Amino acid sequence: MTVLTRVWLLCFIAAPVLAEQNPSQAGNLSPLPPSQWNTNLARHLLERAGFGATLEEIESLAKLSPQQAVRRVVHFAGIAESIASPFDHSGIFKIGLDPFPSSRPATTTLAKETGEALGIKVKESGNRPMQAVVNEFFYWLRASRLETDRVVYWWANRMLSSPRPLQEKMALFWHGHFATNENKVRDYRKMLKQLNLFQTEGLGDFRTLLIGVAQDPAMLTFLDAGVNVEGAPNENFAREIMELFTMGVGNYSEKDIREAARAFTGWNTVGLDFRINLDLHDDGPKQVLGQTGSFDGVDVIDIILEQRATPDFIAAKIYRYFVRESLDPALQRELGERLKAGNYALAPFLEMLFLAQDFYARESRATRIKSPVELVVSTYRKLGLKRIPGAPDFNILTEALGQRLMHPPTVAGWAQGRSWITPGLLLERGNFALDVMFADLSFIPQDRYPYYAGGDEIRAVDARIRAGLDITAATKPSQTDTSVDMMAMSNTMADRNEMFNTRFASYRGWQMAIERVKPIERNIAALDLTGMVMAARLTTPNAVVDYFVGRFLSVPLDKLTHTRITEFFEEQLGTDDIPAAASYLEDPLRLLLHVILSRPEYQLG
Amino acid sequence: MMNKKRRQLLAGALGGLGAAQFGLPAAFAKTDLSTAADDRILVVLELSGGNDGLNTVVPYGDDAYYRQRPMIGLKPQQLIKLDEHYGLNPGMVGFERLWKNGELAMVHGCGYENPSFSHFTSMAYWHTAAPNSGNDYGWFGRLADAMAPEPRPNFLINIDTAQSLAVRSRVHNPVVFDEPDRFRRNGMQPARALLNHIGQSSPANATQAYLNDVALSAREASSLVRSAWSAYNSPVDYGLVSLQLPKVAACIAAGLPTRLYYVAFRNNAFDTHVQQGPLHQRLLTYAADAVHGFIRDLERLGHADRVSVLAFSEFGRRVPENTSLGTDHGTANVMFLAGKNVNGGHYGEAPSLTELDDGDNLKYTTDFRRVYATAIDGWLRLGTSSSVLNGSFEPFPIFT
Repeated sequence: MTVLTRVWLLCFIAAPVLAEQNPSQAGNLSPLPPSQWNTNLARHLLERAGFGATLEEIESLAKLSPQQAVRRVVHFAGIAESIASPFDHSGIFKIGLDPFPSSRPATTTLAKETGEALGIKVKESGNRPMQAVVNEFFYWLRASRLETDRVVYWWANRMLSSPRPLQEKMALFWHGHFATNENKVRDYRKMLKQLNLFQTEGLGDFRTLLIGVAQDPAMLTFLDAGVNVEGAPNENFAREIMELFTMGVGNYSEKDIREAARAFTGWNTVGLDFRINLDLHDDGPKQVLGQTGSFDGVDVIDIILEQRATPDFIAAKIYRYFVRESLDPALQRELGERLKAGNYALAPFLEMLFLAQDFYARESRATRIKSPVELVVSTYRKLGLKRIPGAPDFNILTEALGQRLMHPPTVAGWAQGRSWITPGLLLERGNFALDVMFADLSFIPQDRYPYYAGGDEIRAVDARIRAGLDITAATKPSQTDTSVDMMAMSNTMADRNEMFNTRFASYRGWQMAIERVKPIERNIAALDLTGMVMAARLTTPNAVVDYFVGRFLSVPLDKLTHTRITEFFEEQLGTDDIPAAASYLEDPLRLLLHVILSRPEYQLG
Repeated sequence: MMNKKRRQLLAGALGGLGAAQFGLPAAFAKTDLSTAADDRILVVLELSGGNDGLNTVVPYGDDAYYRQRPMIGLKPQQLIKLDEHYGLNPGMVGFERLWKNGELAMVHGCGYENPSFSHFTSMAYWHTAAPNSGNDYGWFGRLADAMAPEPRPNFLINIDTAQSLAVRSRVHNPVVFDEPDRFRRNGMQPARALLNHIGQSSPANATQAYLNDVALSAREASSLVRSAWSAYNSPVDYGLVSLQLPKVAACIAAGLPTRLYYVAFRNNAFDTHVQQGPLHQRLLTYAADAVHGFIRDLERLGHADRVSVLAFSEFGRRVPENTSLGTDHGTANVMFLAGKNVNGGHYGEAPSLTELDDGDNLKYTTDFRRVYATAIDGWLRLGTSSSVLNGSFEPFPIFT
């Protein structure tokens, strides 16, 4: 073991003991005295202000003073601008697809009335004159969703390798706060644009961010801004802004919502641009939160930002995400005051939080449950991976764990903290670790093999169409089939005369989508745990266990567990001499690491 | 047991059918309600995809139904007639049996204001009982918390591949599994014992303690569930697609302390946009057979008195058929409550088939949360459905 690692491990094991001896600093917002700064606290900072770090990164930050360390992590002092490439579009968008009708019936109604929809003309004669239109509808649904999966991969890769991880972590936080779902937005470009907004403004000031979100195409689409017009205000937008995004329930009345809705009338999106349609805007006087005036949307936002409830609500949410769940009302008020006093500037607020003794109190350390995305990304980071693996699929994996990016369950986002953990989900987290250690040979890439929205049916339709069945016969629901040949012979139903066939369109839409969407590369993490162990010059099983625990966990294992695990590892090795076992070390190391990453403790960050 | 006044109300709501005779079963074999309320179990069956209520419980007595559905409307002679106005889809033999025993209640026109036509959005509203809003927790999870403010292990079971929002609870760890045999921690054989080992928490770290509790719960629940399943052996026919209900029966039979079960007909199976007829009939056959089989199995096991089933879907479907012999997303729908202690019959007000909204959709007549309240206060006898549902919703007298 190197001197470095030994010193580091001593700090790691000793720190909890030292913490017991001091009175709790929970609630103390004054800066940490530099004398108390150590490797363990540096690790904690990197865990919370990013996605965890390697031992080398922790060591490097620990050498700075706490002020310097926090400045580096929050303001990226001394860190070059990221040269990460922008998202690589597949090129699936076509002009006629925007504006996209709200449903398939709306599309076909438009086509019937105007002779065209989605840039596709209705055939003048022949069967299924609208088929191409409906094909295009499903093409866009599928392609946008698949491309959104690629956007998530691009984002996850930034989380993994950005030199400014707090930028990505704040974007993740805002994505959960200003929650929109691609299922409804149905346009990956809007989801990407909103993500870019969070990445660039997420650490700016809250006013700019809030206005940006209120005028953001994804949010406007998601909250039905298009139907919010003078004379028929739709309250959805105004309600969510007040209830979920700024003040929280109980700080406004239904009348405030109705009046505020009028202020946002005419706000809409044309393509990816925000527009105010003045003809549809209600510019009459309104009464919102005790003030009267001919307010527009920005005015209402400013009124909301003036309310006492707003800074408290936002400060509390940020605090709960980055520090800990329990927040007493007095501390919440103080945090709200500080946020307001700083004019809602977010980076200085976080700087204050990350420097505070409260942040380093024992109540705040290793007590937070990593969200699925944080768990996956930080695991890959700590393994030293440079790319997010294509298998297991990041989207499928995080969905199984309960957090599929760009698909929050409701506009309220994801419930955090302990909600991430159920008995089944805890077992899933351990099973994820196994899949990283030992590749799942049953993996199938879902961007080439339709699975959702009736994937089985789509593949069945494909088989029958290729066998030469007409569309009616080919799209009959599967369970009535026996085999393709039998159906061809029985052929009781002649090919129907209809405007279009939805199931065929769904099938064609899939085909068209996968032609155009670039495939996600299905690389599997090539681990070299042997190399890791050799580079750290570890010579005994106990040292290896200590090393892995130190590298991956945030809390030490209890003595009995540690002993049992070490005994297990040694038994797998058949020796206690690590260098001697080097040539066959990899499999026992992977078994060991799976056991360690399956510990409930691994969920703590 | 429908009283005269309600018959008159329903007759009125159905557009003046005059002397419509509701052919109710002559005798309802009611079990004496001697079972303590704190022993009762509620099973929720979610029919995902937007089940077409109008082709499930068919208002064949209303001509408007046939005018709107010239191709896919089910003819009276095809139906399983319930009375002079309604008939069941021909696939629902299982429900016919329940109806004849007085074990099936149906509530008509259930929905909510400003309905969403999105599967995921509308289903989230039903899961949280917070339409056009949101909640961190599901109604079923909040119900568990109200029934047991102190966490009880294995109180709530959700049989699915992922945890439903409906069961998300502040206090309880819902036991979520799909295949009992796969509800386990994967791992190589040599590591088995270690993977099952639960460590000690540091006394100062409450989150660590929580995680270890859940790990213990996972280990115990997974082995409880697997052994309940292997001990269970039933001759009862649940039909072709049993919808996890045998697993529920197995858990009940094994004496698990679970009071709330949540299962689903998954993957938007009922989303019948195209060539609906045979498929929909088949889906309803599966659902009706499964529920009927479940109740018969519970009878065999001696637990039928303490279990009721609530079935719902996230919306109904549009009144007029579409051009693909199917239907598109709609609004109001019928909800079902089944079990030996149900007062079978029709409840609620049938929505009009002629006074539709702009999208040719039904206007709902009952807030769906009233049926939730019926299950919470009427069946489980909680009395505080208003705090679970964040509002006051009058229960129906389906359980007296």
